[in-house]
Amino acid sequence: MPQNADNVLDHFELFRGPEYQQMLANKKKLFENPRDPAEVERVREWAKTPEYKELNFAREALTVNPAKACQPLGAVFAAVGFEETIPFVHGSQGCVAYYRSHFSRHFKEPSSCVSSSMTEDAAVFGGLNNMIDGLANTYNMYKPKMISVSTTCMAEVIGDDLNAFIKTAKEKGSVPQEYDVPFAHTPAFVGSHITGYDNVLKGIFEHFWDGKAGTAPKLERVPNEKINFIGGFDGYTVGNLREIKRLFNVMGVDYTILADNSEVWDTPTDGEFRMYDGGTTLEEAANALHAKATISMQEYCTEKTLPLIANHGQEVVAFNHPVGVKGTDEFLMAVSRITGKEIPEELARERGRLVDAIADSNAHIHGKKFAIYGDPDLCLGLAGFLLELGAEPTHVLATNGNQKWADKVQKLFDSSPFGQNCHVYPGRDLWHMRSLLFTEPVDFLIGNTYGKYLERDTGTPLIRIGFPVFDRHHHHRYPVWGYQGGMNVLVWILDKIFDTIDQNTIVPAKTDYSFDIIR
Amino acid sequence: MSSVSATIQEVFNEPGCAKNQNKSEAEKKKGCTKQLQPGGAAGGCAFDGAKIALQPLTDVAHLVHGPIACEGNSWDNRGAKSSGSQIWRTGFTTDINETDVVFGGEKRLFKSIKEIIEKYNPPAVFVYQTCVPAMIGDDIDAVCKAAKEKFGTPVIPVNSPGFVGPKNLGNKLAGEAILQHVIGTEEPEYTTPYDINIIGEYNLSGELWQVKPLLDELGIRILACISGDGRYKDVAASHRAKAAMMVCSKAMINVARKMEERYDIPFFEGSFYGIQDSSDSLREIARMLIERGADPELMDRTEAIIEREEARAWAAIAKYKPRFKDKKVLLITGGVKSWSVVAALQEAGLELVGTSVKKSTKEDKERIKELMGQDAHMIDDMTPREMYKMLKDAKADIMLSGGRSQFIALKAAMPWLDINQERHHAYMGYVGMVKLVEEIDKALYNPIWEQVRKPAPWDNPANNWQNRAIAEMEAEAAALAADPVAAEKARRSKKICNCKSVDLGTIEDAIAAHGLTTVEGVRTHTNASGGCGACSVRIEEIFEARGLVPAEEPELDPIAAEAKRRAKKVCNCKSVDVGAIEDAIHAGASNLADVKAQTKASSGCGGCAERIEEMLDAAASTSVPATLVAAE
Repeated sequence: MPQNADNVLDHFELFRGPEYQQMLANKKKLFENPRDPAEVERVREWAKTPEYKELNFAREALTVNPAKACQPLGAVFAAVGFEETIPFVHGSQGCVAYYRSHFSRHFKEPSSCVSSSMTEDAAVFGGLNNMIDGLANTYNMYKPKMISVSTTCMAEVIGDDLNAFIKTAKEKGSVPQEYDVPFAHTPAFVGSHITGYDNVLKGIFEHFWDGKAGTAPKLERVPNEKINFIGGFDGYTVGNLREIKRLFNVMGVDYTILADNSEVWDTPTDGEFRMYDGGTTLEEAANALHAKATISMQEYCTEKTLPLIANHGQEVVAFNHPVGVKGTDEFLMAVSRITGKEIPEELARERGRLVDAIADSNAHIHGKKFAIYGDPDLCLGLAGFLLELGAEPTHVLATNGNQKWADKVQKLFDSSPFGQNCHVYPGRDLWHMRSLLFTEPVDFLIGNTYGKYLERDTGTPLIRIGFPVFDRHHHHRYPVWGYQGGMNVLVWILDKIFDTIDQNTIVPAKTDYSFDIIR
Repeated sequence: MSSVSATIQEVFNEPGCAKNQNKSEAEKKKGCTKQLQPGGAAGGCAFDGAKIALQPLTDVAHLVHGPIACEGNSWDNRGAKSSGSQIWRTGFTTDINETDVVFGGEKRLFKSIKEIIEKYNPPAVFVYQTCVPAMIGDDIDAVCKAAKEKFGTPVIPVNSPGFVGPKNLGNKLAGEAILQHVIGTEEPEYTTPYDINIIGEYNLSGELWQVKPLLDELGIRILACISGDGRYKDVAASHRAKAAMMVCSKAMINVARKMEERYDIPFFEGSFYGIQDSSDSLREIARMLIERGADPELMDRTEAIIEREEARAWAAIAKYKPRFKDKKVLLITGGVKSWSVVAALQEAGLELVGTSVKKSTKEDKERIKELMGQDAHMIDDMTPREMYKMLKDAKADIMLSGGRSQFIALKAAMPWLDINQERHHAYMGYVGMVKLVEEIDKALYNPIWEQVRKPAPWDNPANNWQNRAIAEMEAEAAALAADPVAAEKARRSKKICNCKSVDLGTIEDAIAAHGLTTVEGVRTHTNASGGCGACSVRIEEIFEARGLVPAEEPELDPIAAEAKRRAKKVCNCKSVDVGAIEDAIHAGASNLADVKAQTKASSGCGGCAERIEEMLDAAASTSVPATLVAAE
């Protein structure tokens, strides 16, 4: 039946109607050069074979279904973490629309970000004018406290020099001379979103600490007792940073969260639009120089930032997105060691609860095989947690992971009897993962929303942990760090395990003899 | 209520129950309504016991007559499995309200039965009595009878309101209900010489199905399983079986014994937990069926299957043995599983360091002793502190227990595996044993246990509770070692009888003061063992420790003494005394099988077999000269 105004069907139902089905069938038959269904089926089956896997892994140039995003996305992620700061992307406008929609779809929040809107003439003559006009317009329209400039490929290909451009723009009066415009070159054809995060963070600290591109004296480090904390590119930033603040407060630690975007991506609905909210203040960003130490939760998100900080005389400590008991132990003990603050009973109890919860449920997770993909640090954190649970992270894949990362994952595997049959795949994509899921099947897949195609094709139940998660709401509000965070991850995994058991036993009079109330 | 109390009295007199047989007349009158210690953490009630015993009958509607509490908390709470109807899982209750309490709930019950029959048309409705309607005097027997007459569907009253006693009593009352109202009310479509009943098996996690294929292969038909995956008509026609196997030693002994009495269906008590037990049970089933007229070639086929299945299971288990080397297991569980699981675990190469016998009968305990040798620690009441110490002393790597003890185990930082009903896996039969071993392996090697055992890494190890507990225990021990007076006081203050709160010193004093030689004597003077009676074993040990053999009161008249000696019960199940067995031996019985054939002794649970062998040995040694003469 065609659409009816009295009962408007959504697309799930509408196109199942006979006339639409007929139309689609005709289109297929008459215009789409249909293949013999048997041949289609044969190829589908062939794509599940080890033979196909070998060909798939021999792939050299083509990336199919990448599990990574571009540098500028990470750049924007870092920039919005500073007080009233607007990310200014020098390059083409379309790119910026992508970052905004990407974050909005994940965080369910507006995401403010501007572009210098380079067009063809800018590509030929350089983007200086776009920078001059763009900075002026941004400054006047959105009244930011800071404009953080990063680039897209377009600007990078023609070789625009941000340092010189910003200087010129200031001379031309786009923004006041003393106004903070830190910058970072973030071409998408190098690295991934975690590289862009790193570059912007590094750019901002260089700006504040090292004399604001020659316009101010370098800051002199006067060590204090504070510590800096960097979360890295993290889809759970809202829940995680709040949890980290709680942990620090409970411990009585004096801290600065750098690039704190937990407020701007979780603003309340109370009648006021907040283009900016929360964030690390510019003063804090500058004073971060004096801290005793900086802790990064994600080593591969801070590969350049941490050495910069270390060169300024601080101790730096990096983790790999710690999840679970051991990971959190190590994190808290490092905080305790650096600050001299004891880990209070309250946290010891939280730890005991997580251990208790794992022990209560261990039989259901023990020996289960998982495939994980995501950012390098997240993969390490989750794989470590799975080993702790007695599960096997059989396939661990990061499109943006390198050999150094792979070695580290292998070392993690080697540390546990549950890691003995596990493999790490650096630089591979989700089409590789698809082959793996067919040739060496696992019980569950952990990944972002894009994993749903793998779930559909291979029948491997997907546990959504990662970035982006577009098709499930609000998970980013829950922490995955700290013992409470470990509890959340445990519950998500268990929920999927039990849902799967229920699904497997749900057919009345056939399988429902095991459709039990108690699991 | 008079019929309920009569039934209860009958259950208390159950001759198949070893516990009953060990009691004096006065005690029997009191029955096994072990008064739960007010203020103690108690187990389930008689209603619960009745419900869990019958709930696995899958095609009947189970209607709970009472306020929401009773069905609300017991609805579908056991992992029994059905191969067909799922109606047993539907929660039916009269959900009585205040008005019913004032004016009586019988009408509501009648209407509920009517609606069930109209809407679901099950082969039968089981109506469970609960405390509140029992107290206000609802006569469910009468209502059920009226409903049955009116609607023509069997309506079975299960009269086991919670307050009459513990869960175990409820199991038996459930048994009485089906004996009275169900068994023998219908005829099977056909019978074969290979029909058996399985009694006291609930098909938890579907474990009966792990054994059934073997029986199918042998051509042995389970005429009725009471009650796992059971069907009403099967149970109703179960009186035509040729033999029966009793699975859970305490729950349904009355059903097995009365079916033997009424329908001449011999039974044996066996288990499918463990390889050896499974083989023994299959053999025993075959033997009984042959005795009852089945073709003797059944035994050859049985042996062949046993050989094949054992080989398979051993092969599957063999790979775990190296992983289990030097691993020790603390077993805390009740009833039949105590001894059957002990055997199973030992087959897998695990060493057992103790077992709790809370719900086990005396025979269970004997069997545990037999299986585990003299090292058996009977751990009745362990505190987390003691549990932890046991673990700390490297005496246990894992605890196996029911769902409730797990929490104690975890708090005591001990790995744990559930072997009771709220578990996911089926452990029965040969495959079940392999599954159990696999699960134990998982539990032993799960990395979380390391975390469970260790304090937080930043903890000062000197100050965590585990070490504090050990230190306290050591300090206490040291203090006692240094102070003999205090040590003696501590020794004497050890609680022997928990029910009546009697310590060792009181018992020792009573023994010394009154020259006591019997458990009964101790009970008379101290009240110890006047509750659940579980401590009578411990009191016997006190006698042993003092070099005293617990003896009967001396009988001065030699004839009376002889009569008393001969009247001593050897076989509790079949109620066979010393005299009868001696007579059989004199009449020519020269081995256990003969004695069994002539007196029926040891054809129940088999717990007295050893005792009979001893009697046979004794008789043989006294008759050696005669044999020699004959040989010459």
